[in-house]
Order: sequence, then structure tokens, then C-alpha cells
Amino acid sequence: MIELKGLTKTYAGKRVVDDISLTLESGEFGVLIGPSGCGKSTTLKMINRLVPLSGGRIVLNGDDVTDLPAEQLRRRIGYAIQSTGLFPHWTVAQNIATVPQLLKWPKSRIDDRVDELMAMFHLDPVEFRHQYPHRLSGGQAQRVGVARALAADPEVLLMDEPFGAVDPLTREVLQAEMKRVHQQTGKTIVFVTHDMDEALQLATRIALLNHGRLVQYDRPIEMMVTPADDFVREFIGQADLGLKLLSRRWVHQYQRAPSLEHHATLPGLDHCWQLDDAGRPIALEGARLDDDSERTEVKPEWTATPEMSMKEALSRMVWYRVMVLPVIDDQGRLIGEVGMQGIMGIQAANGMPAS
Amino acid sequence: MALAMHDGSRRMVGNRVLLTLLIAAVAGAALLPFANLSPNRLVSGQPVMLWQALSAWQLGGLTLIGLALLLAALSQPLGGRASSRLALIATLPLLALDFYALGDYAHRALVDASPAARVSQGATFWILLFVCALIAIDALQRLRLGLARRALYGLAALAIVIACFAGELLAPLSIMREFANQRDNFLDQLVRHLLLVAGALVPALVVGLPLGLLARRRERLRNGLFSVLNVFQTLPSIAVFGLLIAPLAALGKALPWLGDLGIGGIGAAPAIIALVLYSLLPIVRNTYSGLAGVPGATLEAARGMGMTPRQILWRVEIPLALPVILSGLRIVTVQAIGLTVVAALIGAGGFGAFIFQGLGQYAIDLVLLGAVPTIVLAVVADFALRLLVALSRPADAR
Repeated sequence: MIELKGLTKTYAGKRVVDDISLTLESGEFGVLIGPSGCGKSTTLKMINRLVPLSGGRIVLNGDDVTDLPAEQLRRRIGYAIQSTGLFPHWTVAQNIATVPQLLKWPKSRIDDRVDELMAMFHLDPVEFRHQYPHRLSGGQAQRVGVARALAADPEVLLMDEPFGAVDPLTREVLQAEMKRVHQQTGKTIVFVTHDMDEALQLATRIALLNHGRLVQYDRPIEMMVTPADDFVREFIGQADLGLKLLSRRWVHQYQRAPSLEHHATLPGLDHCWQLDDAGRPIALEGARLDDDSERTEVKPEWTATPEMSMKEALSRMVWYRVMVLPVIDDQGRLIGEVGMQGIMGIQAANGMPAS
Repeated sequence: MALAMHDGSRRMVGNRVLLTLLIAAVAGAALLPFANLSPNRLVSGQPVMLWQALSAWQLGGLTLIGLALLLAALSQPLGGRASSRLALIATLPLLALDFYALGDYAHRALVDASPAARVSQGATFWILLFVCALIAIDALQRLRLGLARRALYGLAALAIVIACFAGELLAPLSIMREFANQRDNFLDQLVRHLLLVAGALVPALVVGLPLGLLARRRERLRNGLFSVLNVFQTLPSIAVFGLLIAPLAALGKALPWLGDLGIGGIGAAPAIIALVLYSLLPIVRNTYSGLAGVPGATLEAARGMGMTPRQILWRVEIPLALPVILSGLRIVTVQAIGLTVVAALIGAGGFGAFIFQGLGQYAIDLVLLGAVPTIVLAVVADFALRLLVALSRPADAR
């Protein structure tokens, strides 16, 4: 658990971080977000005291961070930055082992930990263990950077715009991996970004900062549904608010039992799935916009999984012109369906404002 | 690259540098003597041209080497890398033949001559030696060989030179007879020369490395520090030696125990002080730029990981700055080896002693006895420190 209490930073008389108080429970993924110069990076760096505090307190799992020697504190906190800051004269394995080395772990324990982390980030040990950083792609270097930050199993992981410098495609992959790593390790994470989509994708809590002040601290959906003021509304962006909301909703929340026979009288259910012997969907009758009654073969491109975001599911419906997607499990068996009507239905049930 | 090679295939000449060197060598050999034969050590002798000095098989060998080098200079039939490899390999027999032919000629020429007669090397001998070195440097640059192969080539060339000097082959040469006369003295002066260089480099490093670190840590001090060090660099060395004579002589007189330690207006003390002053700027500047070249993100990460300032210095900053710092040491070492020659003027000794003695006696071979070993020392030090610089880089960036 991290508590910021009246946190303040003054540079030359100017308050760049102004009286910020918030609490992040253990295991949460907190995102600090705001326009450039809002003080989000400064706030992050005060947690591991790379930036000294001007006022207020930071309490980490009950300890005031200023009570500990700075180096000892930092070894308890993982730290990953945008430009990775990998040590160019050390191999990937040596880089990952940095903090365990400082903590004087025995060699065999360090080796095991390096292997474990490389596996977690899908880095082949044979290929990468003895590689030097300048041979790595941007995405690989960033994975090594995060693995290094996690090496000594820190209580908290701080990440300063870690995916800001990689290409959009790699960024999406890294975000998905980060989400998985967060679920696997249950680490408390503080993550700085200026990208609202990234924040909505990853955060369990978002702190929106402006001019050094905390504007709103909330769960992602609450921030979208009940913005504190016009600044928040503007920063989130109103144009695709519906899509942003769907990016925080998951197929399993919307899925219903699959229709296995025609119900011509019921609107929205005038279709039916054909299954093979193993229970996998092979064809859809009806519910395709261009050939209403014909039988259409099911393609993997327009299936959904329970963990998929509704934004992605909607995108598939629109692109492949189907009103309903089959929801399949990891063996490819039909376990449900999710359709256009369903999206509108739940929105309405949640009392979403029409505007 | 492919385009350049395609373009090159239409030209006759693949390596213009090599061709130019070959033409220079042939022209030099045609116009300038390979050796000199004189009745005694002080008078200038009569020139002996290459074709007069070399035996038939030696001339044949030299022609073969020349043809091989010509082949390497042409774009056809060999490719770029094969040509450079041929040129590099051909330098080794050329080097050996240059020395062997000179020694062999001296043996033959002195059989019937008076004991005072002298044979010394002429301009063509030096030209062949320099052309050899330049071809090797050019070929090594084109081939971009790995560290191990470069070292191997250097050792092979060194082995040839040592083999030539080890036996009696070169003994009848005038310069070697000067050496024989001065044998004990030569070793003394070699040791003295090395001690002067080391005596200057050690204090320069002890003072310079912390100053470079200080300049990095306190950027405000940097400009002032560099301008002071720059002043030393601009002073002519002879002037500094001269300037130091009066104060050091006074100091030696005022404090007799300092005088007992050998501190006085002339001798090693002013030489070492001047050499230290000259060495400081390159060491401080390279230490500073090496440290300043460590990326900011790397330092931030090191702090964020929980390294102490001392650990950051030893584990991150110094290893990353080391190639630049060692480059500074290389510059300073080569510079100090050269400057120490001048220090002989104020009685510090070293190879400079032979040079000035030889100049005074108008004995050119005595001058060379001081000059050639100085050059060899500088080249060997340069080569060794280049190897160190390469070794100090991360394993796969060499």
C-alpha cells in the first residue's frame, strides 16, 4: 500500500507538485496521468526519492520513505523508465540481475530468478542471456527493463512512461504483457503515462493531474461516467467516449447462451449456430448483414473470447458485418454469443446518460 | 557497397592508395641510394643504389613482391578483400627482405674494406620500410580485421624485426656499431627514458583522473580548469624546461634535503614536472568527456536500482568511460615518449642524449641510435594502448 499525504514539490518557488494526497491499495495498478508538465513524473520519482520531497509524506507499507536510506528504499522498489536505461556494458542476464547483485543474493538464486523472469517476458534464454542491449529491438529492450525492475521481487513497481518510445504495434503487445504480468504477480504498480487509452487499458485506479494538483482519483469507468469537471471530460475526450467505455468492458460480462435453433419471432435471435462433433461452431445461419438467410462459415477472425474487450468485439462485428459473434473457450468450443443488441442492452441497464 | 564494387570493376585500379605507394617506392628506389659506403664514421660516403647492393635472387624476390602488390592494386582478377589480404601478407616478406638485403650487403661490402669503413642505410631503405608500414595500415583498415587477427599481424611483423636484430645479420651496419660501442650506455638510457615517461605518467594519472571526475561533478569548475591546463599545452617544451631551471635550482639550494633527492635546476626533476604538465590536459579532458558520455538514462536507472554513488562510479561510469580515458592515456604516452627526447637538453638523459651527442659530433648514425628506438617505443606503446582501448569496450563492440 502506498499513501501520499499532502505531497508537495517546489522548484525555485514554483509548486510543480501541489498537495497531492491519495492511497493506492496493495495489488492495484495505479496510473498517474495528465498533460506534460502536470507533475506526474515528479510525483513518481518522489516515491523512490530520486526527487527529494519539499513537503508532505509518502508511506510505503507502513514505512515513511524518508526514514530509510535512499539506496535501501530503492532496492525495495522496482523502477522502469522510457529509455530503458539498460547498462550497455552488461549482458541481458547481468542487467536483469542488477538489484539481486546489489542485495548479494547467492549466484544460483540469481540465475534461477533471471531464467524465471526471461520466461515470464518470453525472452529465449539461449538467444538473449548473453546478448548486449544494443542488439535488442525496442520492445525486447523494454521487456528486459521491466524484468530488471521486477528482479528482486520488489514491493512496488514504478514505471515512468515505459512504452512511450516504442512503435504502436509493439506498445499494444507490451501493454497486454504488462496486464498479464500484473495479474500473475499481483504487484502494486504506479505507472506514468500521458496516453488515456493506455491508462484505460491498464489501470485499476487513475489519478488525473493538472498543474501539479490532483484533479480526480477514481476507477477508470467512474472517471468516464462521472468526470469531476470539464478538464477531466476534455482530457478523456468525448468523441469516442462510448468506445473508451467498451474498452473497459469484457465479453464475459455481455455474453449470453448461444442460439442453437431459429426463433423467427424473437427480434435479434433470428439466427442459429451449427456445431461440429466437438462442439466448435462451424457455421452461422442468418445475422449477417449482406446475406440474411444464407449459411455463413465461421472464421477465426470473427470469434470472441471471454477475456476480450467489448471494444474489440464490436470492432470485429463492424468489420466482418455480423450482428453476433460466437464466444469460444481455449479449445475452440462454443460457450456463448455476444451481439449488437447485447451491447445496447447493458448500457441501458447501467443507466448510461444518453448524451 | 555493391554499387561501389560494380563501379570499381569497370576501373582498372582497385586500390589507388596502394598504387601510389608502389609508384613512390619505385621512383625512390630509382633515384635515391639504398645504402652508403664511407671510409670512416664521420665523412659522408658514396651512395650505393638498390640494384648495386642487392644480389640477383634478392632483386628477383623484390620484383616478385612488387608484382604481387601491383596485382593487389588492380581491380581484376582479385576482389576487394582478396586484394587487401594479398597486400597485407606481401608486407611481411618485403619487411624481411628490406632488412636482410641491407645486412647482407654490409657483410659483402666490408669484407675487403678497412676496419674504419662504414656501411649505413640510405633513403631507399627507409622508403621501403615506410611504404611497407603504410601498405599494412591501409590494408588493415580496408579489411576491418578482428582484434585477435590485428594483434597476430603486429606480432608477426615484430618477430621479423626482432629476428633481424637478434643475429649477426645487421652487426656490420654503422648504426649497430655505434650501438655496440654504446651497448651499456644504450640500456641505461633506455631504462632512463622509460623511467622518465613512467615518472611523468603516474603523477599525471594520479592528479588527472580525480581532476577529470571533479570537472564532471562540478560543471562550474570545468571551464576554469580547462583554460589553466590549456595554457600549459600551448607553451613550447624547451621554454618550460628553461623556465623551470631557475626556481628549481633555487629550491634545491634553499632546501638541501630536496637537493639530496636530486631536485635541482637540471636533471630529471624539471623534466618530469614539465612532462606532467603536458600530460594533464589530455588526461583530464578525456576523463571528463568519457564520464560525460555516459547516457543520462543509464545513470538514472543506476540510481533508481539503488546503487550508491560509489557503486555507480565503479560499476557504471568508469567501465563506460574507460575506452575514452585510455585513448587519453594513449595520446599522453606517445607524446611523453617524444617530449622526453627534448628533456635530454637539460641533462635528464634518455634517448635524446644520443641525438644531441650525435648532432654535436656530426655523427648521423649516433643521432639515429637515439631517434629510431624512440620511434619504435612510440609505435609499440601506441599499438599496445590501442589494443587496451579495444579490450575495454564491451565484448561484441570491438
